[in-house]
Amino acid sequence: MKSVPPDDETGLPGLRSWASVYWFVTTVFVVVVGLLAMLTGMYS
Amino acid sequence: MNTLDYVVLFCLLLGIAAYGTWRTRGPRDLRGYLKGDGQTRWFVIGLSVMATQASATTFLSIPGQGYMDGLGFVQNYFGAPFALIIIAAVFLPLYRKLNVYTAYEFLGRRFDGKTRLLGAALFLLQRGIGAGLTIYAPAIVLSTVFGWQLDLTIICSGLVVVVYTVSGGSEAVTLTQKYQLGVIFAGMAAAFFILLAKLPSGLAFSDVLAIAGGFHKLQAVNFSTNVHERYTVWSGLFGGMFLALSYFGTDQSQVQRYISGASLRESRLGLMFNAVCKIPMQFFILLLGVLIFVFYQFEQPPVLFNQVAWQSLTRHVPADKIQSLEARFTVAHAEEKHQLEVWLDARKSDDASAAAAAFAAASTAHAADESVRQEATQTLQSAAPQTSANENDYVFITFILHYLPHGVIGLLVAAFFAAALSSKAGELNALGSATTVDFYRHIFKAEGTDAHYVAASRWFTAFWGVTAILVALFANLSENLIQAANILGSVFYGAPLGLFLIAFFLKWISGSAAFWGTLAAQVLVLALYFLLPKDYISYLWYNLIGSVVCVLLAAAIQAMIGPRSPEAAPTVTP
Repeated sequence: MKSVPPDDETGLPGLRSWASVYWFVTTVFVVVVGLLAMLTGMYS
Repeated sequence: MNTLDYVVLFCLLLGIAAYGTWRTRGPRDLRGYLKGDGQTRWFVIGLSVMATQASATTFLSIPGQGYMDGLGFVQNYFGAPFALIIIAAVFLPLYRKLNVYTAYEFLGRRFDGKTRLLGAALFLLQRGIGAGLTIYAPAIVLSTVFGWQLDLTIICSGLVVVVYTVSGGSEAVTLTQKYQLGVIFAGMAAAFFILLAKLPSGLAFSDVLAIAGGFHKLQAVNFSTNVHERYTVWSGLFGGMFLALSYFGTDQSQVQRYISGASLRESRLGLMFNAVCKIPMQFFILLLGVLIFVFYQFEQPPVLFNQVAWQSLTRHVPADKIQSLEARFTVAHAEEKHQLEVWLDARKSDDASAAAAAFAAASTAHAADESVRQEATQTLQSAAPQTSANENDYVFITFILHYLPHGVIGLLVAAFFAAALSSKAGELNALGSATTVDFYRHIFKAEGTDAHYVAASRWFTAFWGVTAILVALFANLSENLIQAANILGSVFYGAPLGLFLIAFFLKWISGSAAFWGTLAAQVLVLALYFLLPKDYISYLWYNLIGSVVCVLLAAAIQAMIGPRSPEAAPTVTP
């Protein structure tokens, strides 16, 4: 049976702290908004 | 809809409801009934949070929003990732540490009994109306389109969700949401790919985007600072963040979904799953509407998608006027289609000037058929003002009915109802929990047995289910469905969010100051909403106004009454 990581560990490869998870989410947001801005710029 | 569609519809909806009821049958204690078995993993939590938020309006109305206004609505969700991060980092650990059943129980521990009751009462008021809207949304549109009896549609769909929510509690809600979301995604994916296949041959995806962009449907971001505009990056980022913070962080229908995780880690990851997926998901639903718009440039749509409105028009206006509208619309649309075909040929032969001229002609023709639509709507509003001229909610369902094969139509209609049921189940579960824990157990019967509270919770869940059905039976909306849901949320979320922000971050403010600050802020927001002209302030700003005013008033009241006494110090700290 797989052991469940304790709460302070994220259990995600490459994202070991919760702060890094939050930065990852923020980065995804910036990339998504950037892509939407590009789409807006290209077709307006 | 034919027999195959009805078979698909009833098998999926009743099958999931019956399976959820059967799997979660048997007695359980209060913890099991309100929080589930405590083994829920992050992916299921993530789906449950998503399913509770994404009601039928999301899938029925947002494609229409994309068709009419383009992608700009996606900005409303820009604040959600940041709100979810704050909740995962600050709110969630405290909820779990205190092992509360409801978010308002936390207010009781932090402040006092009256502040807890105020938070819970605002939730019950807002969510009680919202649950009615959740079930009214698909019923009004689908009963209109299919000719079903509206009352019967509301009552039947309402009772299905009441049965399995009352029977299995939180565990049944989470279990059924997982499968309902599967039906929703399958339906939306089917519609998306069939739509792509039905676009004219020779039309590349880059051509589709060029057409959509040419008609201003791809303006996804708007950096304007004008507060009167409904969708801007700033209203979405700040107003939207406060709306999402309030909804995900303080609304029991959401809190109940993620505090039931197997661990803090699972709950956090479930929230982060939504933080990453929310904007792309809304974007694709809006894009579906934009693609439908492009599709209808080559296939003639009805003058009005809302056929009840159109039929009302034909009854109130002379036949020659109707024929004139139809004829002008047909001519304008044919011209638009022709010019777009010329544009496509010129684009393929790299003739930029011919392409520009053809697109300009197509735009002129488009403006002509839009003016016919507006004339039809204005004529309807003056001839029969009581008839709703709302178009957004009817765009997607009209496309589904006319262009999707049988079986898939049933799947899509099942998807709309699945979205309504999954959302309503989460709401009823939360309403029953808050009424039991924050009112019944707190005020009337503090020393009952677990079995007693489970029975009470079942009765309260059923009560709210029936109340939601009654609200839906008497509902009458002037806004389109998704707007109505967001406006209701924005008007009632700001002040409670301010209350929770004080609870989490401003330890020097006492219960009495927080209570009166919240009450005054809520009254102010209601006054602004009802007294100011419509759209004077974009409704998302009410979240920010309510929160800020609540915090400032509570701080001012606290300053007036003096520092709180040491014995009244908070019993909980973040």
